[in-house]
Amino acid sequence: MRAVQITAWASIATAEEREAFNPRRDLPNRKHLKLMTPSVRLGVAAIGKALAARQGWEDVPAERRGLFVGTTPGTGEGGDLAPALEAAVGADGAVDLERFGREGEALVPPLWLVRGLSNNILGFASAYWDLRGVNGNRTEGRVSGLGALVDGYWAVAEGRADLVIAGGADALAEAEAILGHPAGDGAAFVVLEPGAGPLRVQRAGVRLRAEGCATLAEPDLGAADGPVRLVRQLASGARSLRVEVCDPMGLTGFIELAGPDAARA
Amino acid sequence: MKRVAVAAVGVVSSLGVGAEANLAGIREGRQGAVTLDWLAPAGLGCSTVAQVPSEVVDLPGYPDDRKVALLAAAIEEALAGYPPDGPPERRGIFLGTGLSSVTPREIEEDVSPHVRGERVDRALAMGDLSRDRVAPWRHLPERATAWGAARIGARGPVGTTFSACAAGAEAIAAGARAVARGEADWVIAGGYDAMIHPLGMASFDVLGVLSHQGCRPFDRRRDGFLLGEGAAVLVLVPEDRCPHPLAWILGAGSSLDASGITAPHPEGVGAESAMRRALRDAGLRPEQVDWVHAHGTATQVGDAVEAGAISRVFGAGVPVSSLKGAFGHTLAAAGAVESAATVLALRAGLIPGTAMCEEPDDFGINVLRATTASAPKIALSNSFGFGGQNTSVIFAAGE
Repeated sequence: MRAVQITAWASIATAEEREAFNPRRDLPNRKHLKLMTPSVRLGVAAIGKALAARQGWEDVPAERRGLFVGTTPGTGEGGDLAPALEAAVGADGAVDLERFGREGEALVPPLWLVRGLSNNILGFASAYWDLRGVNGNRTEGRVSGLGALVDGYWAVAEGRADLVIAGGADALAEAEAILGHPAGDGAAFVVLEPGAGPLRVQRAGVRLRAEGCATLAEPDLGAADGPVRLVRQLASGARSLRVEVCDPMGLTGFIELAGPDAARA
Repeated sequence: MKRVAVAAVGVVSSLGVGAEANLAGIREGRQGAVTLDWLAPAGLGCSTVAQVPSEVVDLPGYPDDRKVALLAAAIEEALAGYPPDGPPERRGIFLGTGLSSVTPREIEEDVSPHVRGERVDRALAMGDLSRDRVAPWRHLPERATAWGAARIGARGPVGTTFSACAAGAEAIAAGARAVARGEADWVIAGGYDAMIHPLGMASFDVLGVLSHQGCRPFDRRRDGFLLGEGAAVLVLVPEDRCPHPLAWILGAGSSLDASGITAPHPEGVGAESAMRRALRDAGLRPEQVDWVHAHGTATQVGDAVEAGAISRVFGAGVPVSSLKGAFGHTLAAAGAVESAATVLALRAGLIPGTAMCEEPDDFGINVLRATTASAPKIALSNSFGFGGQNTSVIFAAGE
């Protein structure tokens, strides 16, 4: 088992970072924008920033570069289906699913399904930066991003990758009314590599808590919650830290960094 | 990877409910396809699907969520086969699922009423949904994982993956690694999915991947797959807890095509990588594999790309078959349902044939059409997904 350390990080989560984010400028191929939902744009851009912060990442063979992403399922645009659904409304005003098939199918955009896949961050980012290694896409609510960090940690620790980009992205600002509490958009990714430097990962995991979830973080950044909190702490200079995120379903994700003293020991 | 015991299986598919029914269907080379009366008048291009043949009863608290009902049935069978033991902190659960998390009921109740002209009135939708706090939680995959964890009394490692059609296999690989590294002693791992409803059918039909004549993997006349549905889970435990298991997991490998989101890499480099990594993880040479259980979706491009990758890794001799002619494409559940089928076939000493393949295309691989009782010892199962995610898992017959 190899020691694992964080060697770079990036986020698009603060008000300043989101204001500075320009998808047409910051993403490698603007033609793909129409296929990307807001969370995919944020996630792919944050991965690019994290790689840019790790100079020389290209020296690691593509086959040994892994990517683990935490996202929310169903990130497609409901509006894509609006014409088809409109056509499915019967005389009584109710939606008739058979009518949807009969009248609406021709109005479904061919790439609706593809645009809504929650692993699209992996698909785009792997193609842009030639990431061909081990990978995973976690979808477990607010714990998703930390779940991706957990998988990335093990991939490096077990020698299945030499460089892993791991983190999460979500876009919940529009869902505040559903959630009933403050929510926002964000993405954060870290680079994990073998080594026992000052940012050594000590422990990481996702568990179901017996006692449920006591408090929820606000604003709710969904799948990005854990990675954003981690990156904020790293950016503030913290080296011995624990980030824990709890999901309303009772799932809890955590990651602990040992700090420089533990690394020397 | 240290080998991991498959102690029990739970599986629900178009071949039936339970391992026994599924193994019988595999033996017979049966195709689990039905034409649905209610789909035919819907005017969709395809009304033949691979649907679970018995009534599916909703899990309490999950109204109209067919996929969770299928998952629950699979978990109950697995629990009966090898009940959980040991402390809760040493039990884990890893599940893969897919887009079907948006149920027809949600479309009908949560989205459709808010369509105004050719757009969704988001403000109206948000306002309505905020008064129905059930709706936002109904489709969350982690909710099913939390239910499963509670059902098996797990407080150990948990994972929920969405990797398109590789999700079930990815979850099984993650569960096996958790056992192999000593993080858990009893793990449920698998996948579940169900998209046989007009929205699901339309989504795939407009992509041009649904067959209008039956799913014929590797056949010259292949024209896509039938939409299937199902769920399967494996109980995974360390070797010392189950010295005589149904089968072993020897290794797994994953890769990214790194070529885009809508089509596989044209030369199948990702598929090839996943298979080679699984072999390396298992400490095996290609010639030690007796059967390649292909992803085999019966699409023109997909089968050609996979066949090329298999040929480069294994040569022309190893028997290759796909069970999508039997199960249809169970989407996010495919890797799990097909892993369960691999375990059952190895246990029974069979290499399943490729149902519906009558005239294999000229791919330079050994496509097996009929089931043979050749007592295979080692099998590799492939699962590939949109987004370019590929996973291969290697199983060995139990002793």
